[in-house]
Amino acid sequence: MDKKIAVYICTGCGIGEALDIEQLSTVATKECKAAVCKNHPNLCSAEGAQIIKDDIANEGVNTLIIGACSPRVMYDVFNFEGTILDRVNLREQVVWSHAPKDEDTQMMAEDYLRMSAARMKSTLPPEPYKPEQEMSTDILVVGGGTTGMTAALEVAKAGYRAVLVEKEDELGGFQKKVSKNVTFPFKDVQANEIQKLISSVTANEKIEVFTGSKIEKLSGGPCVFNAQIKQNGSSSERHIGAVVMAAGWQPYDPEKLEKRFGYGESANVITNVQFEERAKSGKITRPADGKAVKTAAFIQCAGQRDPQHLAYCSAICCFTALKQAIQIKQQDPKSNVFVFYQEMRTPGQGEDFFRKAQQEGVIFVRSQAPEVLTRGSKIAVEAFDELLGDKILLDDVDMVVLATGMVPAAAFGEDFKAKKLDEEPDKKKDEMVASVDSIFMSDILNLEYRQGPELPELKNGFPDSHFICFPYESRRTGIYAAGPVRRPMGIANAIEDATGAAMKAIQCVELTSKGMAVHPRAGDLSYPEFFMQRCTQCKRCTEECPFGAINEDEKGNPLPQPTRCRRCSVCMGACPERIISFSNYSVGMIGDIIKSINVPEEYDEKPRMLVLCCENDAYPALDMIGLRRMTYNAWVRVIPVRCLGSLNLVWVADSLSKGIDGILLLGCRHGENYQCHFVKGSELANIRLSKVKETLDRLVLESERVRFETVAITDYDKLPALLDEYAEKLVEIGPNPYKGY
Amino acid sequence: MSNKVDPNLIRELEEFGLKDANKCYNCGNCTAICDLATEENPFPRKLVRYIQLGQREKILKSPEPWLCYYCGDCTTRCPRGADPGETMMVLRRYLTSLYDWTGFSRKFYTSESFEMLAVGVVALLVGLGLLIFHSGPINWVHTDLNSVWPSGDIEKADLVMAAILLFFLGTNVLRCVKIVMGDYFSKVPVGMYMSEMKFMLIHLFTQKQFGKCKDRQQWIVHLAIMTGYASVFLMVVVFVNGLPLGIDWLKFQRGWESLGHRTEYSIFHPIRLIGYYSTFAIMYGTTYALIGRIKKSKPQYKNTHGTDWMFLALLQLTALTGILINFTRLMDKPFPTYAIYVIHMMVAIPMLVLEVPFAKWAHLAYRPVVLMLLRVKARYIAEHEQVKDAALEVTPAL
Repeated sequence: MDKKIAVYICTGCGIGEALDIEQLSTVATKECKAAVCKNHPNLCSAEGAQIIKDDIANEGVNTLIIGACSPRVMYDVFNFEGTILDRVNLREQVVWSHAPKDEDTQMMAEDYLRMSAARMKSTLPPEPYKPEQEMSTDILVVGGGTTGMTAALEVAKAGYRAVLVEKEDELGGFQKKVSKNVTFPFKDVQANEIQKLISSVTANEKIEVFTGSKIEKLSGGPCVFNAQIKQNGSSSERHIGAVVMAAGWQPYDPEKLEKRFGYGESANVITNVQFEERAKSGKITRPADGKAVKTAAFIQCAGQRDPQHLAYCSAICCFTALKQAIQIKQQDPKSNVFVFYQEMRTPGQGEDFFRKAQQEGVIFVRSQAPEVLTRGSKIAVEAFDELLGDKILLDDVDMVVLATGMVPAAAFGEDFKAKKLDEEPDKKKDEMVASVDSIFMSDILNLEYRQGPELPELKNGFPDSHFICFPYESRRTGIYAAGPVRRPMGIANAIEDATGAAMKAIQCVELTSKGMAVHPRAGDLSYPEFFMQRCTQCKRCTEECPFGAINEDEKGNPLPQPTRCRRCSVCMGACPERIISFSNYSVGMIGDIIKSINVPEEYDEKPRMLVLCCENDAYPALDMIGLRRMTYNAWVRVIPVRCLGSLNLVWVADSLSKGIDGILLLGCRHGENYQCHFVKGSELANIRLSKVKETLDRLVLESERVRFETVAITDYDKLPALLDEYAEKLVEIGPNPYKGY
Repeated sequence: MSNKVDPNLIRELEEFGLKDANKCYNCGNCTAICDLATEENPFPRKLVRYIQLGQREKILKSPEPWLCYYCGDCTTRCPRGADPGETMMVLRRYLTSLYDWTGFSRKFYTSESFEMLAVGVVALLVGLGLLIFHSGPINWVHTDLNSVWPSGDIEKADLVMAAILLFFLGTNVLRCVKIVMGDYFSKVPVGMYMSEMKFMLIHLFTQKQFGKCKDRQQWIVHLAIMTGYASVFLMVVVFVNGLPLGIDWLKFQRGWESLGHRTEYSIFHPIRLIGYYSTFAIMYGTTYALIGRIKKSKPQYKNTHGTDWMFLALLQLTALTGILINFTRLMDKPFPTYAIYVIHMMVAIPMLVLEVPFAKWAHLAYRPVVLMLLRVKARYIAEHEQVKDAALEVTPAL
């Protein structure tokens, strides 16, 4: 592509008043070699956009540099087909956050223009990835419970085909065991309508149902998955676009509970799941002898919210206990039902159900550690009532129901990481650069992925990605978890979850079949390209890819699977040979951008600090500073990166040899409760940086010249002080000795 | 030692009128809004919790039900509709039945038919008694109650009745004192009780605790009923024959002859003025309460127990028949006067005999007594136990 550069500078929103536009235009035409350079007081207006469109049509410009507002706004206006385009953030990050008509502000704007030109110079128009295999848009749903069946129905309703695989011989999942359930509008116990759901699934011709089946192998990637489904000893293969994993849950093993819960001490101490099985068979009676239940006690949080057992709240047990208590009360209004709880968690409309139980006469006792006392056939419950401030004793209890929790189906099986370490004893542990995900070999998906056969866990065996920011996402592209396997939930949430995951799966097949990336870089047409001749089989890219997108052959050559890729470019940062690049993002390109910065000489007392910042959190935070009209040091030059995990150490070397005085990396929080959109990017950047510090020390360069900070988008208010303080620090250290070389 | 939960308590209290206590989720808004709850004696939440947890013993020993005057603020503020005000009322009924050693009170509160029967039987006995026991010759020319039922004889009957009433009420109050004071009952010297009598009487006659509640109208209504009733009680029991001494000008019931051939005292005679005050006060109080209960205009009027209706009905009927007697006397109509007098007595006596020791009227005694007991207890603790503690501190550790 023959590039014909055009630079458009908007003078609205205060840009024209704060900057010398004429001088900026000179930089565009002289230094950036722009064939066209125009300015307009309102470039985002229809008239402004028309000027650009006319130039594309009449002048044949195809490489556009728009000097206006942040690329995070007006992206729909500045979108011209058949061109490559870059936005220079003159508004938020220059004039709104720095002194107007100031020499330093002007220099900053000019540098950003130069940097944009450098970026455009090495940017190529992306060619969407097209796999050799034909792309499928069918959705595989793993698990035929409420969640799975709802997801399959939603997929079918949206016009896609679903393949539903259930391991049991019948559809229905756990709800098959349940006689009554609790869901919207949470006014009373309701009849279980699972049979209706099963019938509508089996009657739907867009849904292919496999019962008594399992996924033997799942290979490929979004739109090119191949699923081998084993049913009755025979195997069939389906071509799949995306996957909804709704594998459900298992009850926690009550045998593991402490003695104070009394499980196993008396037949009259049962779990909430065992209660369901008994209630399903008709009348609720005393388990030991079938006599009437006059007094029942429910003990909540049996082995839950307890690091010794399940560290989390299973979210359903409060509702379940309320339901079962109401069932006993409705069977015999004269019965005495007590619920011993730590906290009653019935959020939202669930409060109505709690009220319903109270109206039925269920008595609630808040107590942190109630004790079940069994003396022969007699059971009593002793508990410290927090309101009474004293111990109470409930005698002659006929039945105790323990609220044991939900364990995700994905939490069972051997940890793949441990297994791998056993298999490769020669691989030293300290060679691991970043934390390795736990993957339990739970025999659900049997993925043919280098990094393990199942979804990696986020916490406690739940295979989520980041449940607040990206619900349903897992760390395997195109596979979306839903229902209790994702986080503990009841049917009200499971149905919502199934719908959400079905939508994500549909989005995935739609984007992937157009060669586009899915969330969070949805719509990105670029993908990593490997210059294989120079590969040294070091396996860093295959190991560090947070999404398991790269398999490898026996020799260690990477086998990229582009439809699994999220375009985070962590592999690009990982590769010591720098053989991985994107059409619009590469190691060399960022190097060129750094080199395009105009670094004044030592005597000018104008230090320069490079900020490599994550485009997901830190970059918007910098925009927020401008929006709030806060100010920070004008020596800063910001380069947004897709993820700090794409940081290649050569950029640090490039910066320092250019004479830049300091480099600040702004990334996301890593480790536990990480905020990185790409899970491990900032963690990897931090590890890589620890290595560069040794190099700096060796070069007799102060290691403080490179600094890493984690910022969330909400930390914008702390950023100006951080940048100013760093600028002061650089003055204190003194100029970079390599300046001017 | 754990406090045993009695799950049957809540059902037992339902017989006393409990409805909504299980709806309570113990938020404590009721206690927070209450003007009478204190740090030492918080309510109603604590009591509601006792009920939920079947804590019989703790409820029995609780003075708090008597500290509540049922202004209804807690019920208005309750986010759960658990009606804490009514729960306190139920506990007063329950405690009255527990203090009563005869067991009569429990029957009276828990069975409406028993209540009706008891009132009916006593009324019938009174009616029969009045018809059988009267002296002749009856003055059929002028209205002269003394010619039928001489005030001296009535006085004797009154005193017998008062003695019986006092015996039951007194023994019940004594039980109340023992229960509320617990271990302190024997520890506290009698003198200390005596010295707080004034405090008790002030509260008895002013009900000034009620004045601390936000809805002061209830205090006025309550005070009207109480003072009206108390003055009538004094007149018909103590002054009916001018004190037991038979002082003529103090007699509530005086004959035609001794009044100087008149049927009634002159308009400004104190006895007559007091009579008018009490009639007005009782009529105002009971009418307000009855209309309130019919319209359910205030929280405390929403749940009306059988004994509440009975109490108001008897009281108002007593006043109404009293007014009628007054008219017939002024008009000097002997027969209607005598007839209505019988009805008047048939209403007033059951109310006294049954309600004072065993039912709603008993709270007239329990409330000020419990208020006094708390004061006595606090004083005793302040004077004795803290000194002991201080002594302990001074004593060097061994």
